[in-house]
Amino acid sequence: METLARIPQLLVYGLVSGSILSLGGIGVSLTYSILGFSNFAHGDVMALGAYLALAILPLVSAVGIGSGPLGSLSFGPDFVVALVLAAIGTCGVVLVLDRLLFRRLRGAGRITLMIATVGVALGLRNVIQFFWGPQPRYYSAKIQYATMIPGLGVKIKPDQVFIMAVAISLAVLLHLFLRYTKIGKAMRATADNASLARVTGINTERVVAWTWIIGVSLAAVAGILIGIENKFVTPELGWQMLLPIFAAVILGGFGNPYGAIVGGIVVGVSEEVSTAFISTAYKPAVAFLILILMLLVKPTGLLTRRS
Amino acid sequence: MEQLIGVVNYLVFFAISAGIYGVLSLGLNLQWGATGLFNIGIAGFYAVGAYTSALVCGLPPTAWDGRMVGGFELPFAVGLLAAALVSGALALVIGLPTLRLRADYLGIATIGIAETVRLILKNEAWLTNGVWGLQQIPSPLYSVIHRHTAAYITAHPGLPEWQRLLVSRAYNWFYLLLVAAVLIALYFVLKRLIRSPWGRVLRAIREDEDAAAMSGKNVFAFKLQSLVLGAMIMGIAGALYAHSARFISPASFEPLYGTFIVWVMLMVGGTGNNKGAMLGAFVVWGIWAATDFVTDYLPWTAPQVAALRIVAIGLLLEVVIVWRPKGILPEIGAKRRAL
Amino acid sequence: MRTSGASMSLLSIRGIESGYGDMQVLHGIDLDVEPGEIVTIIGPNGAGKSTLMKTIFGLLKPTKGRIEFEGREITGLSADRVVRLGLAYVPQVENVFPSLTVRENLEMGAFIAARVPRERLDRIYELFPPLMTRKRMRVGRMSGGERQMVAMGRALVLDPRLLMLDEPSAALAPNLTATIFERILAINETGTAILIVEQNAKESLRLSHRGCVLAAGVKCFEDSGPAILANENIGRLYLGGE
Repeated sequence: METLARIPQLLVYGLVSGSILSLGGIGVSLTYSILGFSNFAHGDVMALGAYLALAILPLVSAVGIGSGPLGSLSFGPDFVVALVLAAIGTCGVVLVLDRLLFRRLRGAGRITLMIATVGVALGLRNVIQFFWGPQPRYYSAKIQYATMIPGLGVKIKPDQVFIMAVAISLAVLLHLFLRYTKIGKAMRATADNASLARVTGINTERVVAWTWIIGVSLAAVAGILIGIENKFVTPELGWQMLLPIFAAVILGGFGNPYGAIVGGIVVGVSEEVSTAFISTAYKPAVAFLILILMLLVKPTGLLTRRS
Repeated sequence: MEQLIGVVNYLVFFAISAGIYGVLSLGLNLQWGATGLFNIGIAGFYAVGAYTSALVCGLPPTAWDGRMVGGFELPFAVGLLAAALVSGALALVIGLPTLRLRADYLGIATIGIAETVRLILKNEAWLTNGVWGLQQIPSPLYSVIHRHTAAYITAHPGLPEWQRLLVSRAYNWFYLLLVAAVLIALYFVLKRLIRSPWGRVLRAIREDEDAAAMSGKNVFAFKLQSLVLGAMIMGIAGALYAHSARFISPASFEPLYGTFIVWVMLMVGGTGNNKGAMLGAFVVWGIWAATDFVTDYLPWTAPQVAALRIVAIGLLLEVVIVWRPKGILPEIGAKRRAL
Repeated sequence: MRTSGASMSLLSIRGIESGYGDMQVLHGIDLDVEPGEIVTIIGPNGAGKSTLMKTIFGLLKPTKGRIEFEGREITGLSADRVVRLGLAYVPQVENVFPSLTVRENLEMGAFIAARVPRERLDRIYELFPPLMTRKRMRVGRMSGGERQMVAMGRALVLDPRLLMLDEPSAALAPNLTATIFERILAINETGTAILIVEQNAKESLRLSHRGCVLAAGVKCFEDSGPAILANENIGRLYLGGE
């Protein structure tokens, strides 16, 4: 009975980690639907974002932007600035990678491309290790206390509220972008039919660049949010994130960014709730189980039609 | 002279490792080169093979072990067989839900299975002794050979140092022959298989799956057979590794490196060509070993150097993919494709 | 690069050889389209009609030959560059963006322009009245005939001088075919030249200024549209009897 009583609280944790997974999954779905391949380096891109934020933070503070905590959050405006700059920086790195590597492979077979992304994953992870070492790097040494949400009987930390707020805002912004901007529509068009997009005159290289920019920015932010949530990051972060993110993407329907959002929440909640019953060490195995179940039952995902 | 023997002994040791990677590459070549399957969880099958053989052939658990099962002290050949069977079974489990679907799905599923295997190896100490690993894995004919070499050394007290160094490591020569025998046997078996009607169907599936399906072949069954057989080969490689290293732990099977380097080997050596697979294993393992020597001269710390070596291998892969995706040796039986 | 000559064709194709990899489909095609003309290409399956379209529009690179549009060479130019010069292309299948609305499909037609030309959109709604009431409908949900209208409308948004249609009536029910060709005529009346590839050759040839017959990768006959229709031999060989 005591185990079951923990579930509501675990649900809350699941929503928090799920929103991070959603942000990560959107990028994978976008890359798949527009560029046509699964990007196995996505997790390590998240890690890159997390580490860049750590590196940029002291520079931002040095410039004079305050580090006093914002309200009851564990960080100050300097961190927010560092977050934005890290996202931009990560985009820059990936755009360069696209120019040097992926562009040369535009016509290559899908599996070749995917193996190339595995190589990038390995490379990024070890570049991170080269510069920052294999030991965990800490985001914050302070312990933040959770407050009770009135009426629901569960606790949540201010940082966690921030995480969910960021995730929701970014998801909404993405939706608006895809729906109402010219390049957003062009991205949806390219996802529908890349060859017709070219025939229509759509500049597919520009669409590719924007796909990377959006997917990678979301990934970088997601990585930073992980740092806030777990308080530390390690170079292993990227590869660890792959399994739950892909489980989320498959759950929601490969290529559907909105599905990735739903999938992220479901996987996050499942992983957290599972810890009431099995050891936390096996959380990735839970994601894997969800993945296999989806493949057996409905490989096209829960949300098949792209909206 | 001693230094030369030292080098020779090192080369034998190197060749054993390269040979084991050669076996792994042959397995991948069957899955990817012949059939076009995207297996990035090689480390899972490799580890399962190693642990199975170690548990089957090893000593029963002692009072100090966390482990509670295994240790049947069965002969090496049984261990090898068990390794192949268990790895094959694992591949079956993975293949059934994924092989009807797109390659991406198999990719992520194999990552998942490798990760799950790693978690089990680390956490289920009752089975695997957890992070402490399995020790004293018996090597085939070790005691016999060791007795003879020790006797030889005792019988010749005036032996020059270099001869003593050579003889004392004689077992490694034997193991190298063992690995070479397995490698060659596998090569010929695979050669027959690839050229057989079965192999031709695999290649047809790789070239154009829809066309193969339309000509009435049960594509799913063929893919499954290829995946399972390839995994069995990888399990055998794991067993060979376990008995040569004589100690294994979850750390020995870092999924990313154990899997990734095999892909690099196959792509460098020549996808679709078994000789290429073996060549690639030796070449890339050679490059890897060479970076080990170079790193002594670099000003960075050990973890940094380790990271740099892996970045170098990653770079090698990308360079090969962009400039010579077919690898060194050409694909056997490939039609001259229009491009 | 302007060609010398008395009058300049809108589209000028000389000696085009093209194909897919090893397989050569076109073995030397010459063709002209004059401004404001309707030209129909007919021929059996596999003759290379679609291949020719794709080669003109830059989806395939020709191995030999030269294509000029308004005097400017466009051989081997990529599709998005070709669009900027005033050509538009409607493929035979998968010629709309199914998850986008009607309005969004048309907007994509104007991608290379800085602004979506409102007046042009209105003209397209006039041309295809059923679209007017379905602006916000997702095209994937629409019927074949409506989809074909969206496909053609998308190509017309920037007022191309040459419109290329690959089997515009292929997926349509017979009653819609008449409508589509009637629309094609209406488009032509505004001055747009139209190059059509068709199986349903009769309807198309009837309103074409010129027609040409493509078989086995070469042009084997050329005449005015009605003349080809009246030609019994061709009728037997390529128009399926009747």
